[in-house]
Amino acid sequence: MASSKILIVDDDPDLRQALKLRLRANHYDTVHAGDGYSAIAQAHKEQPNLIILDLGLPAGDGYVVLDRLQHDDKLSSIPVIVLTARDPQSSEQRALQAGAAAFFQKPADNAELLEVIRATLPRATTVTPMPS
Amino acid sequence: MNDQSTQVLLIEDNPGDADLVRLRLVEGKSLVDVNCVNRLSDGLAALKERSPAVILLDLNLPDSHGAETYRKVLESAPGVPVVILSGQDDEVLAIKALHQGVQDYLVKGSISSSSLDRAMRYAVERQALLRSLEMGRKQQLEFKNQFLSHVSHELRTPLTCIHQYVTILLDGLAGEIQPEQRDHLKTILRSVNQLGAMVRDLLEATRAESGKIRLAPRCIAIGDLIQSAVAMMQATAGQKGVGLEVGLDTTLPLVHADPDRILGILINLIDNAVKFTPSGGAVTVKACAVAADPEFAYISVTDTGCGIAADAKPLIFERLYQDVNAVVDSSRKGLGLGLFMAKELVGLHGGRIWFVSEPGEGTVFSFTLPLYSLAKLLFPIITHQGRLRDAVVLLKVVLRPRSEASRGRWKDISQRCLETLHRCVYLDKDLVLPPMAAAGLEETFLVVASTDMERVQTMMTRIREQLEKVADVNTHVRLDLTAAAVTLPDPGGRDLGSENGSKHAGNHAGNEDSLKGQVQEVANRVIEMARPAPAARRSSKSH
Repeated sequence: MASSKILIVDDDPDLRQALKLRLRANHYDTVHAGDGYSAIAQAHKEQPNLIILDLGLPAGDGYVVLDRLQHDDKLSSIPVIVLTARDPQSSEQRALQAGAAAFFQKPADNAELLEVIRATLPRATTVTPMPS
Repeated sequence: MNDQSTQVLLIEDNPGDADLVRLRLVEGKSLVDVNCVNRLSDGLAALKERSPAVILLDLNLPDSHGAETYRKVLESAPGVPVVILSGQDDEVLAIKALHQGVQDYLVKGSISSSSLDRAMRYAVERQALLRSLEMGRKQQLEFKNQFLSHVSHELRTPLTCIHQYVTILLDGLAGEIQPEQRDHLKTILRSVNQLGAMVRDLLEATRAESGKIRLAPRCIAIGDLIQSAVAMMQATAGQKGVGLEVGLDTTLPLVHADPDRILGILINLIDNAVKFTPSGGAVTVKACAVAADPEFAYISVTDTGCGIAADAKPLIFERLYQDVNAVVDSSRKGLGLGLFMAKELVGLHGGRIWFVSEPGEGTVFSFTLPLYSLAKLLFPIITHQGRLRDAVVLLKVVLRPRSEASRGRWKDISQRCLETLHRCVYLDKDLVLPPMAAAGLEETFLVVASTDMERVQTMMTRIREQLEKVADVNTHVRLDLTAAAVTLPDPGGRDLGSENGSKHAGNHAGNEDSLKGQVQEVANRVIEMARPAPAARRSSKSH
């Protein structure tokens, strides 16, 4: 079975690298973007199964990216997990309402993040009846 | 009226004194425009119309006397300088007035035109200075809070980086590591986690100071929370050789509080207690009811530690305070925000926190939380014209996630469902209970409705229709609605003795009491019915 492809969007290259190591160790393929603009471009090009998205980004912050994804027929079905240093009290609800499937504050617990990735990947949701 | 002139409001009932003051004002250098009234009420009315540059105030007026007079004026005209013109040279009253915000206190007999003129001008200047100081203070506070919030956010990025790479090394993702290297990495990880907790506390304290903390209260069994806190702290206590025990009053009713916050407070108090207790000592966590204060639960954390020194006692709840002499193990030091936060949070819940301590004999920290009184909330809902309503139904709305994918959005979805539920009921006849402590992802909302089993069907249909309109509910939630009639106490047959005795007496207070008793019975039944069956609870957890 082909492994799922995850797009990591974070402007900090060290964090991108760390997340890539962690995800690849768990048998996921990863692709990367460092700003809002290339996040959308990469999503189009790579058609990932899931996106991990930082909120504080150059060239279109995380909310802009969420909005673009939502309004793009080719991308709107890709689940997005927000992973940010921002404060949940001010950004969690906004991110979820903008279409994110889950919200994590950095530093996130690795086991928990992996668990949510596994649960959120479309492959794992075959038990979910699609809305008519 | 001249725009250049100083607007003066003179509140003085003695016509002779008023004329004299007017004369002195006219003689003075400044252009003045005097509005003279002879009662406090007229003065306050004039202040509502327009704010003068200065208020000259006699204290003894037909409708107000002494300190009361200037207090009312200060209250109605914040920011306007007040100069008291008094008949008596009362130094004590003068100083008191200045402390409370009056600008000057002049004795009528000794006023010259130049001294009055100067007093007024200086009063205006001082008031302006005061205002700019106050504004500066507010700006500084706002700046400090923004700064702290910015810093704690900025600290998170490098913190995350360290955390990520240390765990990558520890998990062997970058090759195998030696046992000694593993130990060192674990030390780093511990410190990083400590740093993370400090950053979080810093942001919390900033929020507390600017009043931005939001509570999410639920009906919770405080005993369960204490058990979880103790379970989480058992290892820390064990490592230090300190016993950790629990004493619970199992009959304690539910409390109405934010479980996450209360767990945080408990962990903090237990952590402190363990920190200051030597090996071989003991820490005991208790919860009980106190007859003299029936609306609160009392929770206490007792230790057999070194106690709190007398000079530290007034500082214990201060932000950033920590007892440097008492902390032996410097690696366990925090920011000194724990008790400050505990006090803020307990206060937000409407409770209080305090301690009793003798040096060398240990310390008891206690706090109170409001008990959840279902009967009190139910009374106006299920009684009508002095008697119980004819029928009461308990409606259960259970939300279960459709799949694991719903997990990240669950809190948001269930919150929106609860809001919708509140909009589906009649405020005077139905009551949506605060959510119970949730086990896992399943969420149960309860509605007590003053209706019968027949009519409740319509209500359930309406609720289901509305909930299904909530965004994402169809994709993520399995809805389950059930209703059960609440058996009502029989007011006639319940207590035959008093029934016979008071039937003809028509004692209204007695009826009121018996009605309260009946509501309490209904409340007890509702709580009994609301409790999830133990078997069901276990199966939902093991899933």
